[in-house]
Amino acid sequence: MKWLLKIIDAVRPTFEEGGRLRLFNPVFGALEHFFFAPSTKTIGAPHIRDPLDLKRLMSMVIIAVVPSVLAAFYFFGLRFLAMIIVSYAAGLTVEAIFAMIRKEGINEGFFVTGILWPLILPPNLPLWMVALGVAFGVFIGKELFGGTGRNIFNPALVGRCFLSLAYPKTMAASWVKPSDELIGGFLTWVTPSLDAVSGATPLALAKRAVDPEMESIAHMLLGRVSGSAGETSAILIILGGVFLLFTRVASWRTVVSILGSFVILTGALVVGDAVKYPMPGVFGPVIWHLFAGGLLFGAFYMATDPVTGPTTNAGKWFYGIVIGSTTVLIRNFTGYVEGVTFAILLGNIVAPILDEIVVGIRLRRLKNEG
Amino acid sequence: MRFRGGYNVLLKGKPQSAVKAMPEPKVLHLPLRSERFTFTDIRVKNGQKVSGGDVLAKDPDNYEVPLLAPRSGTIRLKTVENHIVLEDAARLEEHADIAVKEMQHVERQMGTAGVKRYKLLSLGAWQFFYDAFTGALPDPLGTPQAVIVSTMSLEPFLTRGDVQLHKRLLNFTRGLEHLQSLLEYQPIYLVLPDITSEFANLIRNQIRGYAWVKMLEIPLKYPYDNFTILARRLNLKPGEGPVWAVRTEGILAVDRALTLTKPCTVRIVSIGGMGVNTPTHMKVMPGYPIQKIKEEYVFEPAARVINGGILTGKILPAETMGIDTECRGITVLREHEEREFLGFIRPGWDRHCYADCYLSSLRKKFREQFTTGIRGELRPCIACNYCEEVCPAGIMPYLIHKYLYAYLLEEAEQARVDLCVECGLCSYVCPSKIDLRKQLIDAKDLIAKEKEEIRQEQLHQEEIRKQQEEARKQSEEKTE
Repeated sequence: MKWLLKIIDAVRPTFEEGGRLRLFNPVFGALEHFFFAPSTKTIGAPHIRDPLDLKRLMSMVIIAVVPSVLAAFYFFGLRFLAMIIVSYAAGLTVEAIFAMIRKEGINEGFFVTGILWPLILPPNLPLWMVALGVAFGVFIGKELFGGTGRNIFNPALVGRCFLSLAYPKTMAASWVKPSDELIGGFLTWVTPSLDAVSGATPLALAKRAVDPEMESIAHMLLGRVSGSAGETSAILIILGGVFLLFTRVASWRTVVSILGSFVILTGALVVGDAVKYPMPGVFGPVIWHLFAGGLLFGAFYMATDPVTGPTTNAGKWFYGIVIGSTTVLIRNFTGYVEGVTFAILLGNIVAPILDEIVVGIRLRRLKNEG
Repeated sequence: MRFRGGYNVLLKGKPQSAVKAMPEPKVLHLPLRSERFTFTDIRVKNGQKVSGGDVLAKDPDNYEVPLLAPRSGTIRLKTVENHIVLEDAARLEEHADIAVKEMQHVERQMGTAGVKRYKLLSLGAWQFFYDAFTGALPDPLGTPQAVIVSTMSLEPFLTRGDVQLHKRLLNFTRGLEHLQSLLEYQPIYLVLPDITSEFANLIRNQIRGYAWVKMLEIPLKYPYDNFTILARRLNLKPGEGPVWAVRTEGILAVDRALTLTKPCTVRIVSIGGMGVNTPTHMKVMPGYPIQKIKEEYVFEPAARVINGGILTGKILPAETMGIDTECRGITVLREHEEREFLGFIRPGWDRHCYADCYLSSLRKKFREQFTTGIRGELRPCIACNYCEEVCPAGIMPYLIHKYLYAYLLEEAEQARVDLCVECGLCSYVCPSKIDLRKQLIDAKDLIAKEKEEIRQEQLHQEEIRKQQEEARKQSEEKTE
């Protein structure tokens, strides 16, 4: 790959200070460092550094969602590819513009947002909305706060929240029926869309006033149900999620406390007869709820974002409890069918406060040390 | 207090246990500067003939710690900057004993215990002592609240205790007894990797009844051998007096100084790391020409030579010609050169990281090839919390980094940046490649400087107030 490095070295002056294209230096830098690791050296102790860098850390998340991406193709057709491309193109444009204004490098954080974003959208969403949502999310949710590392809200969820509040009808009409052929949607552009009035996702079906209906747990585990492109197959999300926990990119504390508090609270509601489901028993509805909607996807990929979640370990436990229980409350006692987006955004709001409290306690303890 | 954090960096080039005697050098270059000492008070003249053990220079800021001549020879001053050159170095006529007259004088002044301390200082054994909390040289005439003796060096790669103790166990226990005789009832804590081992039992049997030695077992995890961490682990408080800390070489030097009354000049220094062909331990004396060591061991043309360990050592500048008096090991590291193509998507079978993001986490622990490459771009903190997890001091490096980023020095002080032991692990694990160690050290220095300024200001104010008061009194007297 020497020839590529030669080309890069040859064109570098055009992008540097004084060159004609110096405005695009961040874009050039991002491309250069995508292909070739930087040649910087340590200048003092410690003389060696851990090989892990942000690029690798972020690619771990992308590797983890690969099964979910494949499942999205399988169940909803090849149109999903267009959504991914649009998502990256629109989001990267916003990111690049801000990098040029700030004269900083383009951050790796967006590569994760860009792949997670189409996965939490209805599969037949108009492409302009895909672009608008991600641009809004990156602009308002991230760049205005100062870019990766300084944002308070998860950019993908900000975009999703914006779309569902601004275009509720289009969002509701964009659900499609999952493919039920053996080769799946690999040969179709997009699977047939569902009747918008009747509602579509398992949670919506279960919650409708007339004739509520509950999808079978087996279907939700495998993913042959309607829903956002990447959130339907519970088993693949768990597979990718466990990979993230194993690599320690995602914190197991957050995941365990979200799912734990969710299971306990839902179970308590069923036992206390506060909510009734057509399904018998206690664990039936609990497991059904666990697999329904975006809970698993949110718990494994969205809430574990280190930037927008709390940093302290104790904070992570409470953060998970806030998200888990808010989801239960929204799902069971409000007009919304799905509550994970709002719950995680709420969690993002309380995360700095939780950190503040935990850090305050730790500092008080540290005061008398040493 | 329990141990927290810590992490072992497994690096290729671990020095073997064998000790190699280096050939006798013709010329010695003794650096006038080492980690703690600056020998400014030079006691010899150009062209003067000295014998082994003579005082060449002293450090007036550190209780007059002497720089001893390791060999006899002729002095050349000013031929090399910041060095004393000893030409025609020869091993013969090692003069050692302190003059009898001087000894009697010292004994009259300070008593028998004083003589021992005087011997330690003047024969070069005292320089192996540290104050556990500050890392500085403790007062040789002071009384410690406790003594910590560590036999371990966990940072890659420093001279290991077990190598130095090989065949010298008797000297070690005798040294401990000598140390005990300097104390009244203060405990000596002996830090060992395994207190039930045969080796520990041998020590126990040999010193029974002579010295009160309490054994402390610590896990083999960097940086649990750090003296500050050990002192905190033992619940010793800085307010209750100094804690002396000394390593294996120090105890052996105590034995040599007090049993044989000979100067401690020869020592075992490790040479290890990626750029060394046969990592080993070598027997050298201060001033040993580094060029000779390089010729023998370093094969990489572009190699970084580090004085000390890989995580805390300093780059040995090209001007330094010889080994300094405090050298605890030499680490050689290959300089990073080639740029890796698509490095971040490689499976990484032979690359290991703290967070298990490479395929190598499926294989057994192994020693890795490291270079000086940072292998990533500088990015803002993403609050991954790895730095807090590895921090042995129990502070939150990322939090202090955020405070410092916003110039909130007072908050950084409240976050106890002063507890940092400068082990370098936070910088090592940071995926955003932030140089946390440097930032924390700079903040510590800044806070210390500010405190000193405030103190000076207060003293100044006090003086002015006193003067005014006096002036007032005088004027009152006059009016009367």
